Amino acid sequence: MVVVNTPETYSFERDGNSTVSFSGQTTRIQMANEIINRMKDFSATETILLNMFSNENSSFSNEDLNSSSKNVKSKTAASKDFFESNAAGSAAVRADFEGWLTAQVNETFPAQNTVASAGVAGQIADGSSTRYVSAKGLEYNQAFNKSLIGALMVDQILNNYISTGVLYAGSNKENNNNGVVADSKEYTNMEHKWDEAYGYLYGTSADKANPNETIGSDDSFLNKYLGKVDADSDFSGMAQTIFDAFALGRAAIVAKDYTLRDAQTAILRENISQVVAVRAVYYLQQGKNALATETPDYGAAFHDLSEGYGFIYSLQFTRKPGTNSPYFSRAEVLSFLDQITTGNGFWEVSPTTLETISTEIASRFNFTVAEAKD
Amino acid sequence: MNKKHIFVRPKRRFFEGSFFGHEKDLMKRIVLLVLGGLLIACSSEDDPTSPNESSIGAAVNFDRSSMLAHWADAIIQPGYADFLSQLQTLEARATQFTETPSDANLTALQSQWENAYTVWQKISMFEIGPAEAINYRLNINIYPSNTDLILRNIQEGSYNLNLSSNRVAKGFPALDYLLFGLAETKNETLAFYSGSQGIAYGNYLLALIADMKALTETVKMGWESGYRDTFVANDGNSATASVDRLVNDFIFYFEKHLRAGKMGIPAGVFSGAVMKQNIEALYHGNYSKHLFLTGLIAVQDFFNGKGYGDAPDGQSLATYITALNAVKEGADLSLLINTQFDQAKTRVATLASFKEELQQQPPIEFLEAYDTVQRLVPLLKVDMVSAMSITIDFVDADGD
Repeated sequence: MVVVNTPETYSFERDGNSTVSFSGQTTRIQMANEIINRMKDFSATETILLNMFSNENSSFSNEDLNSSSKNVKSKTAASKDFFESNAAGSAAVRADFEGWLTAQVNETFPAQNTVASAGVAGQIADGSSTRYVSAKGLEYNQAFNKSLIGALMVDQILNNYISTGVLYAGSNKENNNNGVVADSKEYTNMEHKWDEAYGYLYGTSADKANPNETIGSDDSFLNKYLGKVDADSDFSGMAQTIFDAFALGRAAIVAKDYTLRDAQTAILRENISQVVAVRAVYYLQQGKNALATETPDYGAAFHDLSEGYGFIYSLQFTRKPGTNSPYFSRAEVLSFLDQITTGNGFWEVSPTTLETISTEIASRFNFTVAEAKD
Repeated sequence: MNKKHIFVRPKRRFFEGSFFGHEKDLMKRIVLLVLGGLLIACSSEDDPTSPNESSIGAAVNFDRSSMLAHWADAIIQPGYADFLSQLQTLEARATQFTETPSDANLTALQSQWENAYTVWQKISMFEIGPAEAINYRLNINIYPSNTDLILRNIQEGSYNLNLSSNRVAKGFPALDYLLFGLAETKNETLAFYSGSQGIAYGNYLLALIADMKALTETVKMGWESGYRDTFVANDGNSATASVDRLVNDFIFYFEKHLRAGKMGIPAGVFSGAVMKQNIEALYHGNYSKHLFLTGLIAVQDFFNGKGYGDAPDGQSLATYITALNAVKEGADLSLLINTQFDQAKTRVATLASFKEELQQQPPIEFLEAYDTVQRLVPLLKVDMVSAMSITIDFVDADGD
């Protein structure tokens, strides 16, 4: 067997032409960025936001997005492994996202000039910023944004494109073995599937072949939070580990070494799942600390807990290597979210609850609450 | 969730021919499964479908030719004959109705439309040979129909139903509109056929039925005048052999037309948006579920080699799987497939009409029923074909 080395950059060629392509992923990240920005625009209507989610009626400001055949909604909770035989589960997730879009317009926007208090939606100061929260203290735009990291990016990468069910679909293996490219393309289908996984993390990177140069500053989704986790000294090197697994897995496909490829799939599942978990614990801890002071900083706490809410939600799309299961099931995730939003929600959630959930999350991964908290 | 997937097909070589050398066996094609060199590779998370251990080293005899003859003679051709006779009755009822547009004649015509549409569900899956050559399925049952085009054709009075652009204005879906969708009440519907435009409406009705009949006669004649023998004789195991091709057609039908067309697309499984207008038999309003279940039962019956109507049962995909000793996670694969068929039938049967179910936002009950149907896809498309060493000749493009 030929030894396959980890490429330094994500560039692959056939007969002098690049075989790397993931423009559909770039498009969806751009769409998602526009949606979360529009959620903060008080002139946006429910129809506009829902249309942006499904890309209907030319609702984006970027004309290229309007004319694209892609949309975010149809790839939300849409992986082959988790949702192909679970259309009901997929619809429930999409209903959650549409629920946040709707609630932002119907609950948060009308309370723009109301001071938020327990049980009352409105605005609340967070340092020099102003946050707009629900009656429970939740920022729906944060819930949408951070949950989409799981339901779109993580689910598509871990449970779809790097999964054997997709990589080996149809005659993909035979064609890859024989160098048979897809119709009028430079790549084999298997190569392309792997690239599409890559695109959900690096699709808007400044240098897409060498994305760690700007990791963390290329989008508001997985790229951003991989950058944040990598910047924590307890997890430094994670961005390199993930990039290397993508690059080596792609090289393994070129070399037809599927054992090596699947080893990279396992590395990606473990590490990308961990990015979600670390951020969930981080925000729960930040929120807990802000609430624990003598004069609780509710604005700061709610902002952290709103982000944490989305990262907890995203845990249902993680993937335990060697299994067909996420690290936390949807039922477990919904139970966590119930615990932090019961009654008046963030206004009265106890530090103990936040600590318990933090510990439960960390305990299923290879890190501690202390490592994640700063 | 938790779908198992085989990703390395066991290396198997099939031999055909008069293996035992007896003169009388010369015509009998034996498929021999050679297990020497059998290689099954899997990762820890995959459970390959494989012959169970007791079959290792044993030759598997399965007579593909006799299965093909059974399919042709006891299932496909009797199906076409039944469907043609249904269309003849439909034509008679339509003639009666157009001559005398009475309430009773409309009821009789509507009821025969139901009968013929039901029988169609039993033969739609066989898009091979003469049917494939004329795009039979797309000429008989594209929905939703284009009602503007239907009305324009009626107004203009001249139309060529052979044009592919008219496929959305003919077949069962167009009849559905003309018999159930023109008006809310029967009296109002009758007015269309007895009013000043009555003859134009009646003529269109008759033209649509004549078109369906002609297409069906072409397909039936094609089988009778040569294709049956070609089909049965092509009993090898290459990608172009009859078994491989019909299995592909069968799975394609199941996945795209039954699962997706009748349930998944209207429920928004792929787009995320419920499309109520895309159900089959839209204007009838309470027949989509019956048509779906008829199609599902027909698929299961074909899988089990059940003879059409009074025809005898025979060799089938199920008996083939049994001959191969295919197991999945220790269980007999054909039993697993039949169990899943039964679960899907039971779950779909508990639904209200498709029209009512799709009013829900999101239509969770309907989607859960869809999921029981979807679970058959990997069983057929991965496990079954892997055991049979059949290659799937169509791929799903996700558009990226």
